[in-house]
Order: sequence, then C-alpha cells, then structure tokens
Amino acid sequence: MSTAVERTSSSSVEGPGLDSPSPSGGGQGRGLVVERSVPMAGAVELVVYHPPPAVAVAPGQFFQLAVSAPHTILRRPYSAAWSDPAGGLIGFIFNVVGAGSAWLSTRNEGHELDLLGPLGRGFDLEGDRPAVCVAGGLGIAVFPGVVQALIARGRSIIVLQGARTAAQLLPASRFAGADVQVATDDGSAGHRGSAVDLLSNLSFAHGTNLPPPDGTNLPPPLRGRVGVGGCDILTCGPTPMLTALIDAAWRHEIPLAAIQVALETPMGCGIGTCLGCAAPRAGGGYILTCQDGPCVRADRIDWDRMTDAFHG
Amino acid sequence: MVERLDLSVDLGRGLRLRSPVMAASGTFGYGFDAPQVDRAALGAIVSKGTTAQSREGNAPIRIAETPSGMLNAIGLQNPGVEHVVRVYAPEWATWDLPVIVNVAGDSVEEYVAVARCLDGVTGIAGLELNISCPNVQRGLQFGVDPGLAAEVTRAVRAVTKLPLLVKLTPNVTDIVVVARAVEDAGADAVSAINTYVGMAIDVRQRRPGLSRGTGGLSGPAIKPLALNAVWQVAAEVRIPVIGVGGIMTPDDALEFLLAGAAAVQLGTVNYVRPQAAREVHDGIAGYLREHGMADLRALPIRFSSVLTHA
Repeated sequence: MSTAVERTSSSSVEGPGLDSPSPSGGGQGRGLVVERSVPMAGAVELVVYHPPPAVAVAPGQFFQLAVSAPHTILRRPYSAAWSDPAGGLIGFIFNVVGAGSAWLSTRNEGHELDLLGPLGRGFDLEGDRPAVCVAGGLGIAVFPGVVQALIARGRSIIVLQGARTAAQLLPASRFAGADVQVATDDGSAGHRGSAVDLLSNLSFAHGTNLPPPDGTNLPPPLRGRVGVGGCDILTCGPTPMLTALIDAAWRHEIPLAAIQVALETPMGCGIGTCLGCAAPRAGGGYILTCQDGPCVRADRIDWDRMTDAFHG
Repeated sequence: MVERLDLSVDLGRGLRLRSPVMAASGTFGYGFDAPQVDRAALGAIVSKGTTAQSREGNAPIRIAETPSGMLNAIGLQNPGVEHVVRVYAPEWATWDLPVIVNVAGDSVEEYVAVARCLDGVTGIAGLELNISCPNVQRGLQFGVDPGLAAEVTRAVRAVTKLPLLVKLTPNVTDIVVVARAVEDAGADAVSAINTYVGMAIDVRQRRPGLSRGTGGLSGPAIKPLALNAVWQVAAEVRIPVIGVGGIMTPDDALEFLLAGAAAVQLGTVNYVRPQAAREVHDGIAGYLREHGMADLRALPIRFSSVLTHA
C-alpha cells in the first residue's frame, strides 16, 4: 500500500504548515525487560531489550506499550527516556497513575513487553545554540536521551528540573555534561518554586529583553552568548507548567518558535487513526499528538484552548 | 478435509469481499495510516465518517478508557468529501482492497450531496451510511427514527449505483424496526452496531472524562450487546448483516458469524493489536477447516435449532 498520499487525519483540515512528513509508524514487536530500577521516588525505570534489527529512536519519540491489567484495553504511550541502538536497549521512566502503569511497574527482569514504535516526531536537535531543557515532574523522563544527543552534537545544555520534593528529582548524574539546576515545591532542594522560575532567571540570555549588567551571573554554557541569538528551549511537563512557561516566554520576549514541547495528551491508537489525541492548533483546528507530535514547536499550539482542555 | 476454503462474502450489488474481516469506520482512517496491519487479511476498509465540508472535530478531551472499553467523542473530524474524491480515491483505485466510504451528515440534503460526489468515482467500492454517530449534534436523529432512517436511505439510494450499507445505532428501543425500515428503503446491507452512548467522570477533577460530556462506547464491554443486536436483526432482514462491536479475537468474530452476520468489522482492536485482522481471518479459516466447511454459508446457526435449546 502506498503511504505517499497527503496525511489522512488532518491534511486538509489542517491546511499547510507541517514542517516535514511524519515518520512512518514503527513496527510492533516483543521486547524483554532486562532491568527494573527506581530512578527517583515514585518512579520506575524499565530497560527493555528490543531484539535486532534495533530501531533508531529519535529523542522525544514514543512507544505504545501493551498492558495486561484487568479490564484495560488500550496501549499506554511512553516516551523513550533514552535508547542505545547498538545494544538494542530502550529505557522508559514512568510513575503509577492508573491500572496500566501499575501493571507496567510490576514488570521485572525477564518479563516480555509488547511494544509498538518508535512513533511520532522527536525533538528537532539541529542547530548550535545553547539548549535549555525545562522539565516538570515526570516530564524529566524524556530528557536523558535528549541531553545525550545534544551533547553528541556539541551543544551547550542547561537542564532545569522541577519536582515536588528533592527525592522526586532525577539525579543530575543522568545528565552528564549538562549544567543541571533544580527547583522543588517544598524547597527541599534547589530553588523553592518551579523550573519555569529558573528559566525566568536565565531569560535575559535571549538578548531580546533587558540585557543583564554584564552577563557574568550566567551559568557557564550561556556565558558569552548573551545577545547572539539566544537559545532553544525544550520542555515537557504538566499542562499548568507548560502554560506558565509560555506566559514566561511572552514576558521575556522569547519567541515561541524557539520552544519545543513534548506534548502529553490522552491517546488511543498512537498511529493516527483514532484522532483521539487532538491538541488545539494555533490558528484553529487540531494537531494530532501522535503524528504531528509529540514534540512540536510551541507556536503551533493554541495555548488558550490547550489550557481549557487539559488544565481547566 | 476441505481442499479449498472460500472465505469470500457477497454484500450485494456486486460488492464481493475476499475475506469477511473488515476494518470499521473511524478506526482505520482512510487506509493510509497503520502500516503495521496485514491488509491481505482484510476484505474491505470502511473509511472515517465523511461529510460534505471538512470538519475539525470536537475539542479535546476526546477519548477515555472505561472498563473493557473506550469512550470516544471525536466529532467526525474529516477532510470533506471533495478531498476524499480528489486525493484518496485515486490511490484506492490502485489497491487490491475495496474501500467503502462512510457517509455522514446533518441533513438528508448533506447525505445526498456526499453520496452524489462519491458515485461513479473510481476507487470507491461502496457507501456506508452513518446514521448513528453519537458525537455530533443531530448525529443520531436519522438512526433512532425508522421513518427518517428510511427517508435518508431512500434519498441516497436514488442518487448512487454503489452498494449501500447502513450503519445502525443500538441507542434505540428496537433496532429491528430500523433495520427493516432501511432494508425496505433500498439498503444492500446493514452494519450493526455503532457505539452506545456512554459517559465517564473524572472524580479528581470533578468534570466529565470527555469534554463533550458523553461519547460512544466501544470495545469488549459492548460485545454481548452487539451480538444480541446482530442476532435480532439477522433473523428479521433478508439483506446481509455485518457484525460490529467489541470483536477482539477469532472466537468473538465467529460468535457474530454464527449469530447470522455475513461479515464482521474490527474496530477498537485495531488500536491495540495491529495483527488482529490477520488473527481473526486465520482463526475463521481454521474453524471452517476444523468443521469440514468449505465456505462461510454454513456458519449461521438456524434460529429454530437454537430455540429448542432455550
């Protein structure tokens, strides 16, 4: 069957504007859990061996994991936290939010997993500007692989990680080579507040806002970069955090096109057929998280309607 | 031992399928996604519900999982019939898999307009009249009223030579009455059933699980209900009945075929197990072989023989 036709789900409804053709859907196959660990309080990390030929996973892409919990039917979408194509390994970091994730959290070494993927679009990692990764809560789960890939591209990286409390932070050792700053709601580690606060502290680096006195209070990756085009922001987290970030971006005159968001919406199929994972598109209509995302430029989203749907 | 199995199905007006396993409307897009599915196992694809103009669909949240089922309120997001004719149909014409276009509308005039656009277009094998979408205003008005169901069927019948299926809603007191009405109005086959209207509430956020409030329930949760509907309808109409509703396994499909369905449509399972069409197809073939049957015609259980058991 040809797949060379314009996209079915949203092509003419959407109109033009998709940056590039959606990658074709990944295959379905069986993986073997080779390691289970607790990377931070309340979360589980599964390392899955996906037999060769190993598929390349772009950072930010996701898999649909089948679950066998009683009375559940749909697969669960999870971003790959990281991947090692040479070793055929994929890491998933998640917390328990319902029956499906509870079942997944009980998978252990030697258990099989039914994976569909990799699916969707990952982050666009091209460019040479410093990259700032802003994560709230479990949103941090997508970033180990992202940071690894950015470092491989020689880019300067700041990770701004927010969590409720210190124990729920993914250790900075998972982001070797990046400048990691943390914030906690209870002040038990780092800044008391959110990762978006940390971003606001950095925002003058964009040079479009009031310039800092001399730039010396910038972290090393940004030092000397003031006013030379700013940086790229990659983010993932709960909708209230994302909308706070967008507000901060407006305040600090950070162009939304410089921000990429890994969206999280309810999802049915993950392959573009059920149209269940709609997210409000800037200018009207909807994008599909599974095909147009999950990683999209923030200027593609209508944030007012996003708030209504997933926050309000 | 049966030498050659014939799994083909005749849905009337020249619409012959190589396999009784179809992809249900709304669960397979327009056939261009889901490369994971083994299309050789399919007899036909039924497209997403298509309207005269493009539609954006409902605001999210559009889906919610419920026990052994899922609710959806997509709201007929589709690119409109002209796009289907201009862009998709030429591709379909190159496939060896019939594509049936699911036709939706707000008025008899809209159904007729869409059907007119599709009539005679190469690559389109048939129409499935969607008088049963619970997720748009007036989506159900034709399906719950036998008179209106007949009126829209008759009007569409008059403007198309294509095989005409009518997809029935179970949200009625007596589905048989509606099935008879559309049969008399010229339907070549009926698909039974579309989703049941349902609801979920997010107790933490204290709001409906779907932004529209209600949605259509599909999946294994509705299978016994769908099976009963098919059983009732198949006993009362002469045209083929296509069984739809919660089929996940070969045995599920066989239940529908035994109940009198000429073919089945897989829906929600397409989201979960891309290999389901192949499994169901092969499972039906294996069952026929095991029972020494050469084709599907001997499958339906005679109504009277069952009544003796009752």
